Amino acid sequence: MKIRERQRYIMFKIIKDKQTTFTEGEFIRRLWDSVWRYFGMAASIKVGLWLLELNFESSYGIIRFSSNSKEIIISALGLIRHINNKRVILSPIKTSGTIKSIRKRIDEMIKN
Amino acid sequence: MSYFESRLKVNLENLKQIKSILNFSKLLGINNVILEPIREVKKINPKIKSEIQDMTSLNVYYRHCLQINSLNQFKKKIRNYSNSRDIVSIETNNQGIQLQAVKDSRVDVISYSNLKLLKSLSKGVLSLASQNSTFIEITLDMIFNKNRSIQSKTFRKLYNSINLVMNSNSCLILSGNFSDLYDFRNPRVLISICNTLFDIPIPKAKKYFDDNPRLLIKSVSDRNNNHIYEKGVKLINGD
Repeated sequence: MKIRERQRYIMFKIIKDKQTTFTEGEFIRRLWDSVWRYFGMAASIKVGLWLLELNFESSYGIIRFSSNSKEIIISALGLIRHINNKRVILSPIKTSGTIKSIRKRIDEMIKN
Repeated sequence: MSYFESRLKVNLENLKQIKSILNFSKLLGINNVILEPIREVKKINPKIKSEIQDMTSLNVYYRHCLQINSLNQFKKKIRNYSNSRDIVSIETNNQGIQLQAVKDSRVDVISYSNLKLLKSLSKGVLSLASQNSTFIEITLDMIFNKNRSIQSKTFRKLYNSINLVMNSNSCLILSGNFSDLYDFRNPRVLISICNTLFDIPIPKAKKYFDDNPRLLIKSVSDRNNNHIYEKGVKLINGD
């Protein structure tokens, strides 16, 4: 019997200047580039990266990835310094096994 | 978990800049910071300390970093910090001075913040550091480099040095020491980087980023406590 791979979600804060803008495509390309640069092909084939949401108004994003790649994804996000030659910081806030608890945290964050 | 940033260089004359750095640290989820004056000062004015503490909810501690080139300079400079209430760290690439500093009870930390300094890290210093409970600090500000070749060499040197310290049983402190605001990272990110790139297990990495800085602060406060004669020996008031 084939067991489905478990997935995990990470919510991160986007810290940037007000003028700095980038698209979802540019962000995901930069993240893949970071995974490739620091962890190579062996890690890239295992991460199962998927961008779920990128909200510039509330400055957060959500990514889905395979549950074994948590540290790789956090490192790859942290090692990103520029997107479109503009300085950014992608700082992880919460990782979870369900999207529900991530949404709950977002609601709390927006309320505050 | 509360996170530590053990080395933040600030200009003590510019309170506005300090406020923005502290606010930025708070935004990144850092709860405790150790500030280091850019220019060497013998003693930080308590008035400035209270002003800084008033402007933030973070726990703020202070350290002095002495850049030393010769043994005589070390002897002269360290005299000024005999009764320091702050952390005293030494930065030098001279192994003779490192050996002298690690044996000196006034020195709390031997700091290695660039490749040149990391090359001078020796087993002798580490052995004495573990005997004298002196902390070894390695900073991670050098991990960001556009040039891939230099960056990989830096990672290699950091990997070797961190593993050397880990195997020596010395108290290791890992800190950011970033100067640009946009290079600041949440210590959780730095823990992950240490885990994935330098093969440090997560619990050990957490110890180096959080527990050991706390131990350092406690040892500095114990040093200034008249009731504590040496490690583990405390005078208790009897009836």
